[in-house]
Amino acid sequence: MTQPHDGVQDGDLLGLAVPYALHALPDDERDDLEGRLAHAALNEADAFYDEVRAVRETMALVSSASAAEPPADLRQRLLSQVAGDNVRALPTARQESGRRRRTTLLTAAAAAVIGLGAVGVGLSLWPQPAQPSTAQQVFAAPDVHTISGDIPGGGTATVVFSRDKNAGVLVMNNVPKPKPGTVYQMWLVSDKGETSAGTMDDKAVAPSTTAVLADLGNSKALKFTVEPGSGSTQPTGQVVAELPLV
Amino acid sequence: MTSLLDAPVKLRLDASDNQRTATVTATDLDGLLRRVAQRDADAFAAFYDATRARVYGLVTRVLRDRGYSEETTQDVYLQVWRTAESYDPASGTALAWLLTLAHRRAVDRVRSEQAASQRESRYGAATVEPPTDNVSDAVVASDERRQVAACLDGLTEVQRECIELAYYQGMTYVEVSERLSANLATVKSRMRDALRGLRNCLGVR
Repeated sequence: MTQPHDGVQDGDLLGLAVPYALHALPDDERDDLEGRLAHAALNEADAFYDEVRAVRETMALVSSASAAEPPADLRQRLLSQVAGDNVRALPTARQESGRRRRTTLLTAAAAAVIGLGAVGVGLSLWPQPAQPSTAQQVFAAPDVHTISGDIPGGGTATVVFSRDKNAGVLVMNNVPKPKPGTVYQMWLVSDKGETSAGTMDDKAVAPSTTAVLADLGNSKALKFTVEPGSGSTQPTGQVVAELPLV
Repeated sequence: MTSLLDAPVKLRLDASDNQRTATVTATDLDGLLRRVAQRDADAFAAFYDATRARVYGLVTRVLRDRGYSEETTQDVYLQVWRTAESYDPASGTALAWLLTLAHRRAVDRVRSEQAASQRESRYGAATVEPPTDNVSDAVVASDERRQVAACLDGLTEVQRECIELAYYQGMTYVEVSERLSANLATVKSRMRDALRGLRNCLGVR
């Protein structure tokens, strides 16, 4: 091998594909490897992910050797559980090509929204002020949907929305503050382009932040970018996340 | 050699006591998963029935505890329901996607349980357990099981040991090297050789 080694790690990415695919890397090595893959030459990363894919297909077949019937009552428990579950976790913006995607994990944000949703529905049964808030209307709508995605820099964005009400509520949990001199800007994406749906500066981004999206129109997605100053008229900065509104 | 991935995967469509046997291919599983992404509960039930024995069997093999295995299996399928949209056919089959998810959760669980208890007392033995043989042909076709067993037999003893410790006992390759008193490079190459052997034997491209 003539290529340089970095740190204590062997410089050969491909040699780590099997332990990576088998979940046999210590967490810190896995994180380090993923960081290196993100900056590796495309053909090198592709070779790595091809190997990972082949290992996973192989072990999927090998699973027939350990097959065992689960208890019969598990089926019913599971079916009842999903029948009442309308949480959806979606991948965030596809910033990287091909297979360089990470699975979105459901996090506390979505769970928090479910709680919030239940409160919203509960509240609607009580005597209300003449005009319930937009958020209450969304949570009580028969066609309420929930979409959630990880923010690559940390945290989760969740949108609860209703097409009937033409509105949505955005909940951001544990999202890092934007760097000084920049804001997060939200964009509703439709066939006609992107419309600003507001900005959040470092003071607006708390551990848990809520914002109302008053007019969804024909938008198909909610996109987040980092914009300079107090925002832009069109997205110019790095796309942080994109949540499909379907 | 034709790949097993193209071969029909038999499964049982479960209508409690009115059980029918149907033949579903890997491609059909991909289609079912896409319907699950559209919140199709019937597709979810069919997907569960087609794959439950593989998932539960793998999770049980790793966790070796019935209660943990049931919980983890339930978590796996709940995650399927919630994240089916993230499945990308370009990156592999639905079956591989599912079992990767199941293995990840089982390994996470075994590591957190081990962190909380005594690893050696509960999960110590580095023995290769014989494959379980308690599923009917309706769930996993017996010719597939035979072929996989033959391919596992084709590995060397040290290769099988590495797969057992790393894949089925959830050890990191660093822990495997400590357990076997072998250096890291040796363990990595044994794992790689084991996978290459299985892959060729099973005709995975």
